[in-house]
Amino acid sequence: MGLLSILKRLRSSPDKELRLLLLGLDNAGKTTILKILSSEDINHVTPTAGFNIKSVTSDGFKLNVWDIGGHKKIRPYWKNYFENTDVLIYVVDSADKKRLEETGLELYELLSDDKLHDVPLLVYANKQDLTDALTASELAEALGLPSIKNRAWQIQACTAKEGVGVKEGMEWVCKNAKRK
Amino acid sequence: MTEEQPATKAENILKGFQVNWICLRDADGGKIFWQGSEDLSLPDVEHEARVPKSILKCRAVTRQFNFSSKEAIEKFRLEQKVLFKGRCLEEWYFEFGFVMPESTNTWESIMEAAPESQMMPASVLNGNVVIETKFYDDDLLICISRVRLFYI
Repeated sequence: MGLLSILKRLRSSPDKELRLLLLGLDNAGKTTILKILSSEDINHVTPTAGFNIKSVTSDGFKLNVWDIGGHKKIRPYWKNYFENTDVLIYVVDSADKKRLEETGLELYELLSDDKLHDVPLLVYANKQDLTDALTASELAEALGLPSIKNRAWQIQACTAKEGVGVKEGMEWVCKNAKRK
Repeated sequence: MTEEQPATKAENILKGFQVNWICLRDADGGKIFWQGSEDLSLPDVEHEARVPKSILKCRAVTRQFNFSSKEAIEKFRLEQKVLFKGRCLEEWYFEFGFVMPESTNTWESIMEAAPESQMMPASVLNGNVVIETKFYDDDLLICISRVRLFYI
């Protein structure tokens, strides 16, 4: 499912412009997911020291996907990109158990921000190919997702570098972006 | 604070801003038609991209820009126009808002091509199409990039 086809499915949305925001710790796989969505080569993905944006337009409809670097030093800048977000996509390295608490804290900071109030949340449980990866349901429990009551949320297992599971997550995004 | 401060800030933004590379790709297969990275930061240099005629058969072409900024920019935006003999065929306006200091960023625009029946032939387009991209901080023009397309 490429960005153009995502956009086509979003056409019944009342908004003419949709904004997806990809966040998560460094090395979670945000840029790889973005590149998979536009069938780009993923062999040379480097840490994002800023943002990567893809803007797609078709018949006057626009989809903008924002991937913001996740390094600790630049996380304080995340808040500059919250406004007008239609769906928040949070990417987690499911095998990075050492930083599970850290990724959870960052996520809850996002969820408590007024500008992201009500915004549907998709969590990608990435890197499922790694042997010690938590499953999507284990990760959902560990992050306390079931306690989220004030917004639509979903967790999706994926292995972004193989393109596995990315499409399924985007299908949920399409359905839930319309609700707004 | 003195009155010169805004001017100084603008100068610093201009000095610290650089386009690192530009890339034209097939939105479907991801195939790169052209990538340029030389002299992109030099002002008033028009770049020439030699792309295969087959680019005109693509359902959608992506244009990717990679740029760096030393300074934070508050109201970053761009205007991109596709000009045919100076006439605007297509335009994009994009508001980035905030740009982090010491950051390297990419912006990519993906647009569906006109139906083939409405497409001008390569021989007509050849050398007459320019992709012009202007980067601004609010109303301050930071940089203009021009790429002229040759279909071979």
